[in-house]
Amino acid sequence: MTQSEKQLTEKESLDLIAMMINKAKDSYHDTGIGAMMWGTIVAVCSLVKLAELQFDFRLPFDIYWLTILAIVPQIFITIREKKERKVKTYDDIYMDYLWLGFGISIGLMIFIVNNVFSVWEPVSIEYTQLAGHSPAFKFREFIAPLFLLLYGIPTFVTGAACKFKPMLWGGLLCWVCCIVTIYTTIKIDLLLTAFSAVFAWLIPGIIMERDYRNAKRGLAQANV
Amino acid sequence: MQQENFSPEQSLRLIQSMISKTKQDMSDNSIYFLVWGWLTFFASTGQFILKHLLNYEKHYLVWMVVIIGIIFSIYQGKKEEKNSSVKTYVDESMGHLWLGLAISFFVLAMILTKLGWGTVAFPFFIMLYGLGTFVSGSIIRFRPLIIGGIIAWALAIGSTFVSYDYQMLFGAAAILISYIIPAYMLRSRNKTANT
Repeated sequence: MTQSEKQLTEKESLDLIAMMINKAKDSYHDTGIGAMMWGTIVAVCSLVKLAELQFDFRLPFDIYWLTILAIVPQIFITIREKKERKVKTYDDIYMDYLWLGFGISIGLMIFIVNNVFSVWEPVSIEYTQLAGHSPAFKFREFIAPLFLLLYGIPTFVTGAACKFKPMLWGGLLCWVCCIVTIYTTIKIDLLLTAFSAVFAWLIPGIIMERDYRNAKRGLAQANV
Repeated sequence: MQQENFSPEQSLRLIQSMISKTKQDMSDNSIYFLVWGWLTFFASTGQFILKHLLNYEKHYLVWMVVIIGIIFSIYQGKKEEKNSSVKTYVDESMGHLWLGLAISFFVLAMILTKLGWGTVAFPFFIMLYGLGTFVSGSIIRFRPLIIGGIIAWALAIGSTFVSYDYQMLFGAAAILISYIIPAYMLRSRNKTANT
């Protein structure tokens, strides 16, 4: 080995650092299963709720309980993905906190919305009894926009941080749908929520899963 | 020629200096928290005084001070872009997060324009403040910001139990605990590290 081979120029050193950073960045491989699952669940919940309103029937349980049940498989997915990750990169920690923060915010949003409902509902009932018709203002018309607002944040930030365009556009789509749903009826709100879930999570999840499989196959071939 | 070449030891030193630079950048972010923190603290308490104590009708106009924050952020961002040749991980991550949150604040403002500002505006805003500082704390590995974010979330819950006027004070408290205090702690940590 010659001396010139051992030593690196300043540019080479910087290139090496940049390459290692990119390598670490690329190692952020979510399997995509979590995104696929949540995209499907939110879309199904919204569409079932829409069907209940459109065809005037009621399921014996609230379909949104599915979102609570889905936390169990999500915990298993997270544990499995953590085991598979050999190195915890800078992005991993940041993303963990981002999605944890999102989960807490969703819980808070449910709490705030329920609290507003408990105050607003008696007022609405009293108004209907006195006026003979329901009030023009319906708080439930604002539930979908508030949730779509939250859906957009981690989706957009993940897409931007991991340079993963499908999620970046998905996040932006959530916000566009959020603005549209401010002015639309609850049925359209539910339809647009399902649409956002498919484009922000389900489709990016499928792409992530495909990339993950390809990367795994490539790695296996390289090791042969 | 010899000077241009890096020995493994020198390369490591370069990496070390880059890490130090990143740490330095972490502390520089405190200026944004301080400017936005004091502006929103002033607006929240100012709105409470104007509405609750002085019964001034157009109490919400005090929020026009955010324009100062927007102008400052654009100016500061441009200045930093000019001065620094390397964009660090921290810069990039903070940029993505706060761009996402800025869009969210704008979209939330649109929702509240239709829903009505004088109803439940503050719990939603406090919740987003909490999300921003909680994740920022994880990016720069600074625990007071993470804790500040968690306290802001608790205040978001608490604010739903009080009237709109007192929600403003909850907003001011959230800003004080999650933005202003951690930002001063970040500054003092930086000063201690530099001495």
